[in-house]
Amino acid sequence: MRLHRFALLLCVSALVAGASATAGQIGASAAGAEALLGIWVPDTAPRALLTSTGKTPPLTAKASKLYTERRQRFAKGDTSFDPTSWCAGPGMPRILTMRYPVEIRADANRIAFIHGWYRWFRVVDLGAGTPDPPLPLTMGFPVGHWEGSTLVIRTAGLIDTTVMDASGLPHSERLTLTERLRVLPDRRLEDRITINDPENYTQAWETVLTFHRDAAARVTDDVCPDRMARGEPAEQVPVGRTTAPRTTSVSSRTAAPAAANGAAPAPRLAGVWEPKTFGIMVPNAPLSSAGQEIVSRNAAAMQAGKIMQTAWVACRPGAVSTMTMPREKIVILESPDEVTILFEMPRMVRRIRMNASHPQELEPGYVGDSVGHWEGNTLVVDTLGFNGYAELDARGQPTSPRLHTVERFTPSGDGSIDIETRIEDSDYYTQPFSIQRSWKKSAARHPFEYDCMENPRQEDFENAYYVRERYRPVCMRVEGEGMALSRMVCRRPE
Amino acid sequence: MRSHIQTATVLPWILAMCFTAVLTAHHSTSEFDYTRQVTIKGIVKEVQWTNPHSYIQLMVDGKGGEKIQWSVEIGSPSLNINMGWRKTSVKAGDVVTMNIAPARNGKPYGTLRVLTFADGQKLDGVAARVGARPGGGAPAPPGAAAPTAPKEP
Repeated sequence: MRLHRFALLLCVSALVAGASATAGQIGASAAGAEALLGIWVPDTAPRALLTSTGKTPPLTAKASKLYTERRQRFAKGDTSFDPTSWCAGPGMPRILTMRYPVEIRADANRIAFIHGWYRWFRVVDLGAGTPDPPLPLTMGFPVGHWEGSTLVIRTAGLIDTTVMDASGLPHSERLTLTERLRVLPDRRLEDRITINDPENYTQAWETVLTFHRDAAARVTDDVCPDRMARGEPAEQVPVGRTTAPRTTSVSSRTAAPAAANGAAPAPRLAGVWEPKTFGIMVPNAPLSSAGQEIVSRNAAAMQAGKIMQTAWVACRPGAVSTMTMPREKIVILESPDEVTILFEMPRMVRRIRMNASHPQELEPGYVGDSVGHWEGNTLVVDTLGFNGYAELDARGQPTSPRLHTVERFTPSGDGSIDIETRIEDSDYYTQPFSIQRSWKKSAARHPFEYDCMENPRQEDFENAYYVRERYRPVCMRVEGEGMALSRMVCRRPE
Repeated sequence: MRSHIQTATVLPWILAMCFTAVLTAHHSTSEFDYTRQVTIKGIVKEVQWTNPHSYIQLMVDGKGGEKIQWSVEIGSPSLNINMGWRKTSVKAGDVVTMNIAPARNGKPYGTLRVLTFADGQKLDGVAARVGARPGGGAPAPPGAAAPTAPKEP
């Protein structure tokens, strides 16, 4: 326990050092950061946001008419104005009102909010400056700083197709949010949010959301399309319960141990990274006859002009596909007990528990169970517990639940990370084989985001070839006349 | 002859792979015929700046005077940003000419090579980098077709 506390203190100290805090603020910021870390469960998950004094937000006449109409639809069970109803991005502050836990993690320069709903996360940059969004995103571009023990987050660049609460509270792309997060004397977390959107509100207004700790709560590898396929609603879990109990994540089932020797090394991998070398093919993989049969079938479908729907195309995560096909940016947070990797595409969070062992019984999942240790300057990550729903490359080379990967992350002399991955899967490959990929430091402060379920189009599905039946959608929007006139079509699997 | 058949069989696969390699597109692009070029002119009805792909819905006059709505895929928001687009680069009501690689299924659907505004300014679409020539041909090397300057919002 002492070692764990020591490691935590080192982590928090590093957090403060990177937060541009003044000397006088350091003590308060460290306490504030330490208090924020961990899993939080919403107290109420309100269906309709109110001001901090309990009043209806100061909507303009036009926005009020729209909100009233949506609330009437919501009361009748029609949530089609809310993108979460088809598994698309919730936006801000909508995701904070969802009935799912959120885990706060941090390293020297960033604070990550990892949400329990469909692998969404946001990364708060603690560097100096203001948000500078090059394009609107679901979660926007948050930047933060400490004011004493209060974390202040300013967010701009929020896309206007999301709603701010489950009842459809509207906003425009001129929306800016200023959040003030602190732990209250009663140990609850308070997020006091100032909402400024002159297109929809007559003045800036404030709302307050609160959260509590729950030892039973877990942030799991929730996959919304899989829940939809089972006939479950897009948002379903009562407040305070463990998220999505039917898809318990192997990555969160065991407690993270303290570092083996108690000494926290300087971060070697933390930061924002982008692919140095693209690789969408895994050539010369030693396919077995079963593997070759699948690849040949896929090739025939593509040559016939079909769109091949693999796991990541079908909006599923997949740790192994990011090992073989690096795409877009990743953010790595590094602490003595865990290396956390947040992926832009496919959106996914990998948790690598340091100096730990795999649990004896693994529940298969898309990201598997990862444990890591340092060998000199190389991070070695061993992953088991895959569910077999992932393809290695653009040809759809298959994987099975027997898949076992060992990654070796080595910082290189030019500031890159070289990763050698050993892949073993006796169901589809005659022997283990290795691939090499590289990531380079990105100049970006934030990753973009990939809202895979945002706008599925009829054209994509009517000409599709599904590598696995699981990837066939059960709920889609028909877009023949464009988004504005589109409608939701949901059906049960046949 | 045998060589020709093999090329014809493999070409769509190679094209799709090259395209994906350059652009890391969301899915395989074998639904489009990169050996063909179609040019359409019309009024932008709607721009869907969305994932996994963005679209421009273009209203085009048919031969009989009827309005035909074309759906033209224009990449993804993050990809377009990297190519110099902004969300407001193309707006509803703009009169534009679009050179596209059409869908193989013959529907009014394709992927953008080059968009030309009424004033002559151009925007490259993702398919510009595939580099197919009129009448067919092998794809250009990656990066051979550099994006032109975007139209300012």
